[in-house]
Amino acid sequence: MGQGHASAATKTVTPPFSPMLLLGVALRPVRPQLLQPVFDHMLAIIRRRHPDILERMADYADKPVCIDPTDLPFVILLDPNPEDPRLTVRREIDPAEVAATIHGPLEMLIALAEGKVDGDALFFSRRLVIEGDTEVVVALRNAIDGAGIDLIEDISLQLGPLGRPFRGLAGAAIGLIGRMRDDFEMLRTSLIAPAVKDVNAQSARISALEGEVKQLRKAARRGGAA
Amino acid sequence: MNKAKLSLGPVLFNWKPETLRDFYFRMADEADLDTVHVGEVVCSKRTPFLEPFIPEIIERLTAAGKDVVLSSLALIMTDRELNAARELAGAADILVEANDISVAALMAGRPFVAGPLLNIYNEGTLATLEAMGAMRVCLPAELSADAIASLTAAAKVEIEVQAFGRLPLAISARCYAARARNLTKDGCQYVCADDPDGMAVETLDEVPFLAVNGTQTMSYHHMDLLGDVTNLAARGVGRFRLWPQTFDMAGVARLFRAVLDRKMAAPEAEAALARLCPGAEFANGYIHGRPGHLFVEPEFIE
Amino acid sequence: MMAATTPAALTRPELVCPAGTPAALKSAVDAGADCVYVGFRDETNARNFPGLNFSRKELGEGIAYAHSRGAKVLVAINTFPRAGQPQLWHQAVDDAARLKADAAILADIGLIDYAARTHPELRLHLSVQAAASNPDAIRFYAERFGIKRVVLPRVLTVQEIAAINARIAPVETEVFVFGGLCVMAEGRCALSSYATGQSPNMNGVCSPAGEVRYTETPQGITSELGGFTINKFTPNEPAGYPTLCKGRFIADDKASYLFEEPTSLNTLTILPDLIKAGVTAFKIEGRQRGRAYVAAVVQAFRQGIDAVMAGRPLPEIDLDRITEGGKQTTGAYEKAWR
Repeated sequence: MGQGHASAATKTVTPPFSPMLLLGVALRPVRPQLLQPVFDHMLAIIRRRHPDILERMADYADKPVCIDPTDLPFVILLDPNPEDPRLTVRREIDPAEVAATIHGPLEMLIALAEGKVDGDALFFSRRLVIEGDTEVVVALRNAIDGAGIDLIEDISLQLGPLGRPFRGLAGAAIGLIGRMRDDFEMLRTSLIAPAVKDVNAQSARISALEGEVKQLRKAARRGGAA
Repeated sequence: MNKAKLSLGPVLFNWKPETLRDFYFRMADEADLDTVHVGEVVCSKRTPFLEPFIPEIIERLTAAGKDVVLSSLALIMTDRELNAARELAGAADILVEANDISVAALMAGRPFVAGPLLNIYNEGTLATLEAMGAMRVCLPAELSADAIASLTAAAKVEIEVQAFGRLPLAISARCYAARARNLTKDGCQYVCADDPDGMAVETLDEVPFLAVNGTQTMSYHHMDLLGDVTNLAARGVGRFRLWPQTFDMAGVARLFRAVLDRKMAAPEAEAALARLCPGAEFANGYIHGRPGHLFVEPEFIE
Repeated sequence: MMAATTPAALTRPELVCPAGTPAALKSAVDAGADCVYVGFRDETNARNFPGLNFSRKELGEGIAYAHSRGAKVLVAINTFPRAGQPQLWHQAVDDAARLKADAAILADIGLIDYAARTHPELRLHLSVQAAASNPDAIRFYAERFGIKRVVLPRVLTVQEIAAINARIAPVETEVFVFGGLCVMAEGRCALSSYATGQSPNMNGVCSPAGEVRYTETPQGITSELGGFTINKFTPNEPAGYPTLCKGRFIADDKASYLFEEPTSLNTLTILPDLIKAGVTAFKIEGRQRGRAYVAAVVQAFRQGIDAVMAGRPLPEIDLDRITEGGKQTTGAYEKAWR
């Protein structure tokens, strides 16, 4: 089982139009290496406060996972080896290097990590796309969900006396992003609604035609048998 | 000379009663079988049509020297079904096969056959059923040869293994033959009778996968253990079950007997089986601890 | 429809909630679960999913947390022990008893026999995987092994459940009220192993993630299980996990959700009928679904049960977001489902 199906499928996941996308555009000139200390710090927090994540991933020690926030210009490589876990930020990743890749908007990925949204529901709604070895992704999701992570809480604890203002600030920022998202959602919908309508009409026409073809084929078969 | 016996399982499909009677008469007269199962396993709605024919079927089989076993329904939910099970369990002088645990419970203290649709996966469960009176145990389809050998080593009674035909994989309250035609089980119009070997189910890429027999879901592939029966017999399996299909079942039984008696080599028998079952695809994956739909070539068997 | 009997005193059903991790257990207890059911991190339980379930230490801590808040913990050991290797399953039963779990949920006759003989003080529930679908089957487990409660297979109508309850007292029944829906009689389905070699009965997994593959094409996403295409989705269509029986297949010349659509069981609207049918406990499926799901569903059903018991109208609660494909059904509880 779990013989990593390294997928050769081409990745064409369009990020949803969101405030994160703007942040992504803003970050584009930043070299990923400059962000690495942030992720080193995050990993240190995880190792200290949530050792059970790596413990739950023990069976997948040799299965690195690529986390791709589709609205940011970089990807994160998670190497879950409990001896030497790594969280590396990179501009891009060759699918052959990893067992699996999770694509999704950053906001979704954070909410998922914090257990605030249901991973299955996210996947059912297609806001997350998984490529490669599904088993390691399921394991990672379950491990993270089980840890009861609260990213804001964790980081503010690290900040000591600065924690409280950070918490307030972060809360406000997330609220703002949420509101902005709603506004953008409205804008996006109004922009693409005509196109969607056209596509819908087209697919309705196609399925009607398909139905007719099937009926004809069936009739032909029945006729032949009679 | 191998002592392993051959059983013909109950007909799982909805065949016309006359067709069914003629089939059993032919089996009585022509097939080299030790035991023949009779009875409706899948859907209680079919029973009333079948019942009037059962006495003459049993009589003919018995007269031909075959042991007869009455197989019970697999999923018992309603009072009507439960009452039928109680009647079956009360039948004198005829061996009953329990395919629902309630039937085994009703039979407790008297000899019965523990059917393949009970969940007998290990020695503990086997021992409990033996203590209840099971005189033969037919194992679930999923088990590998190693698991089977572990059970034969522990068994006090005869162990039977499914060896030919579409495998019963699942049972449901819902009827998929009816659903496929936009009907419900209550108003099913007995559409399952349209497919005497089950309705083929393909993937969206038109790869054959499963078969639907009313409320039962079966394998698309036909189980074929011709290449495995001698090994299994050597590991203690005392009996093999052939599931009836519309193919020449007397011919199928002849091939299994010939292989068990070492009068025919497995590859030769395989080729003959393919001729007897035109269009059929074969599988034996479960026995080799693999996905059930796979066929593992006999020459790779140790 | 249920007969309009209005017994003066309805029995308040227990709300039995899933937890795949200690965090989910806390969420469930905090959200108002009466009981939480869990499994060990191995193939002894029917949700043997990667990264999920409890170590012995976590179970001990989880039981302490639940008990301190008046909730119970049930341990599911509901797969069928492997021939010749029952030790893992026996150890699981021993540990559940040692850690003072409130009950063990078992399916295999041999394992039930072991538990009843070895730990007479351990309360035993019959798992849905045992598929005891009629009073005679239930009485068999109760009389022979002292089973106290049976989780009914998801094949019965509300009327059939009421009829069973009337005939098996004092054995209690537990029914599923929400979550993923098995369309086959549970514990009696080998479709998963036919495609992948791994099954709920033997390995505690159905349609295992390691055998799942998604392929992105210009036409959308194809989901495969064990190399078989289970479904195809156009770019705008909600995709689902390729659980075998929720796939689209071709039969009788047409492609359809032959067995079941990707849908979730949701019985909020028929809670009053189920309570009147005399069910002791309501079970929420989904140990694999995570904290967010557990909290949302447990809260919804807590409110629902409390409303019915207080004679208030059922609250309107939207659980669309967390159902498979956004679709819901009352499943086999209504006869037309068949």
